[in-house]
Amino acid sequence: MNNATKKWLFLKCSSVTLIPLMFWFIINLSLIYESEYSDVFNFFSTQSTKILFSTFIIVAFFFSSLTISEIFEDYIHNERTKNVANKVLYIFAIIIPLLTIISIFNLTL
Amino acid sequence: MSSNNNPLSPHLQIYKWQISSLLSIAHRIVGVINIFAITLICLWSASLALGEANYEVINFFLRSFFGKFFIVSLCWTFSFHILNEIRHLTWDFGYGFDPKISKITGIIVFFGSFILTTIIYLWGIFFI
Repeated sequence: MNNATKKWLFLKCSSVTLIPLMFWFIINLSLIYESEYSDVFNFFSTQSTKILFSTFIIVAFFFSSLTISEIFEDYIHNERTKNVANKVLYIFAIIIPLLTIISIFNLTL
Repeated sequence: MSSNNNPLSPHLQIYKWQISSLLSIAHRIVGVINIFAITLICLWSASLALGEANYEVINFFLRSFFGKFFIVSLCWTFSFHILNEIRHLTWDFGYGFDPKISKITGIIVFFGSFILTTIIYLWGIFFI
């Protein structure tokens, strides 16, 4: 299996996983965004939310890094610029979910 | 600096506007907007760990007109991305390539995204 096929399969698997997670998240966000600190804290402190939200952001950043790298491939011609842009993208896609997951797993009721 | 001779994608103004190209371009733009929004949401959820005082600043924004506008916009970008991704997945299974069907599914995605946005936002209001 060549790299392009692997990338396509990763993209499709992550998009299938992402659809129900996006539904779950946007519905819950519309429910809690105006709530008080304690309500939002309680929401993010439950074990099911921690697992679902962590999965959501991991898959979302994974999917985004693959799709945005495709945009770089289409519009950035210079190889060095493209490599730097991809590296920054991949670092960003690792650090943001990692910090968020550490933060929400430290929330305890 | 090294460079290769691979062709670049043409710039957007070269395309003749039609529903397929409009949705394709919008799908990419909305995808980039979504990841920026998810990054802000990550910071919002992480801010919970900093205590109530810090959270109040974000809560003040979310309760304002601009906060509501941000959430409604996010409902639309998520709805649009979900529906258009389902359209892409049906293509991957070999269905909906016929230009007429493709146009119909494109229109369904476009108008469906507004309907889904309304449903999600009203759900948030009535089930709170």
